[in-house]
Amino acid sequence: MSEEGLEAQRSYPLNKKLREFFWGGWCMQAMWNYERQMNTAFMWGMSNTIDRIYNKPEEDAKRKEAYKRHLEFFNITPQFGSFVLGLSAAMEEEYAADPDGFDPKMINSVKVALMGPLSGIGDSLFQGTIRVIAMSIGISLAQQGSILGPIFAMLISFGTSFPITWYGGKLGYINGQKYLQEISKSNLMDKVMYGCSIAGLMVIGGMVAGLVNITTPLAFGKAFQLQAVLDGIFPKMIPLALTGIMFYFVKKGAKPMAVILSCFVVGIVLNYFKILAV
Amino acid sequence: MLLKSILIGLVSVFRILDSRVLGRLNFERPLITCTIVGLILGDVKTGLLVGAQMEMITLGMMSVGASGIDMNMGAITGCALVIMSGASIEAALTIALPMTLLDNLLDSIASIIRINFCHLCDRYVDEGNYRVAKRVHIAYGPILYSIQAFIPVFVAVYLGSDFINTILRAVPEFIMSGISLGANIISFFGFAMLLSTMVNKKNVVFFLLGFFITAFSGMNLTGIAIISIIAAIVLYQLKYSDKGMSGENEVDELSDQKL
Repeated sequence: MSEEGLEAQRSYPLNKKLREFFWGGWCMQAMWNYERQMNTAFMWGMSNTIDRIYNKPEEDAKRKEAYKRHLEFFNITPQFGSFVLGLSAAMEEEYAADPDGFDPKMINSVKVALMGPLSGIGDSLFQGTIRVIAMSIGISLAQQGSILGPIFAMLISFGTSFPITWYGGKLGYINGQKYLQEISKSNLMDKVMYGCSIAGLMVIGGMVAGLVNITTPLAFGKAFQLQAVLDGIFPKMIPLALTGIMFYFVKKGAKPMAVILSCFVVGIVLNYFKILAV
Repeated sequence: MLLKSILIGLVSVFRILDSRVLGRLNFERPLITCTIVGLILGDVKTGLLVGAQMEMITLGMMSVGASGIDMNMGAITGCALVIMSGASIEAALTIALPMTLLDNLLDSIASIIRINFCHLCDRYVDEGNYRVAKRVHIAYGPILYSIQAFIPVFVAVYLGSDFINTILRAVPEFIMSGISLGANIISFFGFAMLLSTMVNKKNVVFFLLGFFITAFSGMNLTGIAIISIIAAIVLYQLKYSDKGMSGENEVDELSDQKL
């Protein structure tokens, strides 16, 4: 049996293990492919754990099986990758300790079950909320010609990404299964989503109103200026309307590249006939 | 000239590696990469302005799974050529568009190679050659991405500035300002993409709240960012603090970390 390997894995310094989960998470997209997405990344993140547990030549079959287990389809927000890696490493240890009682299929079922919800939260949190807030602050400073803009944007991104990845790995490895039960009991996912959606959506609303202003130069004589009439109802009406139209296209599943190209054509036409202006 | 082109190409490599081996720290965004380009070419001010402009237009664009789009590579090229040729800031957009198309094209070719790498990795594991299987992920992948990021930017910057100048001078003014209007319209596509990942019938009011606060007060984005975080905390407390006493503390600790 692999008791010796298991002992080696368990006595290996915790910080070094956490470092593996951390880099495993951050390198999640290093070989992104359309077939199984982040599969090689997950294998890479788990490889040292597997190598330590099945360290003898006669255990090669088990080692190969473990490698293959982690070459299945996988996808996650990189910063949460460390959590799943830590959790999987803990389950691999459990399997090695009790090869007859623990079904290894369980490891992949847990991975698959976590993929969807964690990616959903991850994209909202990192790309929808943190990135948008960091860049919004960065843009306002950069427009005043201050180099602090990009520096703040980098600090905010790093200052959230780094600790979440590091402690995510620790949480997953040490207490992953316990937390998993608690998370589903306390609907933590809903709570995080709730907080993110408020902060994220308010900033997106602010972006629509404050970032890019598009107005209409349409006028009939001096008496009727369309923009003045629109502003009389509420300011920034055209940006809000454009967002609504674009939202419709996104929901219809329009191809980004097609939308971008048609925007340029539409822009040239509307600018030529003086219907809209920046 | 050669040295500068190589350095700008390396900025593009840095840009792609941010999301490949640094878990996407947002260092790939135009605001940051254009500033670096400005530092390299000795014109930080223009770098910052082009960065802020490109960032505004692409802020909403995000990649969700396999789909999505970014103009990060186009922004680097556009910024470098604007600084080198002395063209207007808006010209950066005009350059960024064809570069984005090229980027998309190159990535579809590279993605076929990456599927082959994936099979290669399977084969090495089958043969028990674990060390090389790991190398496929951590070396082959990033190297391919780097090549794909370096070459187009290097070539465009090395050959580009005279060429760009000639073209920009030939294009009539109304087309240039039309492209600028189009680019600004694109930013709303980005906002809509962001919105679509988070919005539902219940929480759309928060989007409207942010919109109207900013529209009527003319507050800048730092202001609305701070208000939104406070609003999220207050509303979170109102909704969750009174319910369920048992085990609540532990859970709160956890959610604080994640937020």
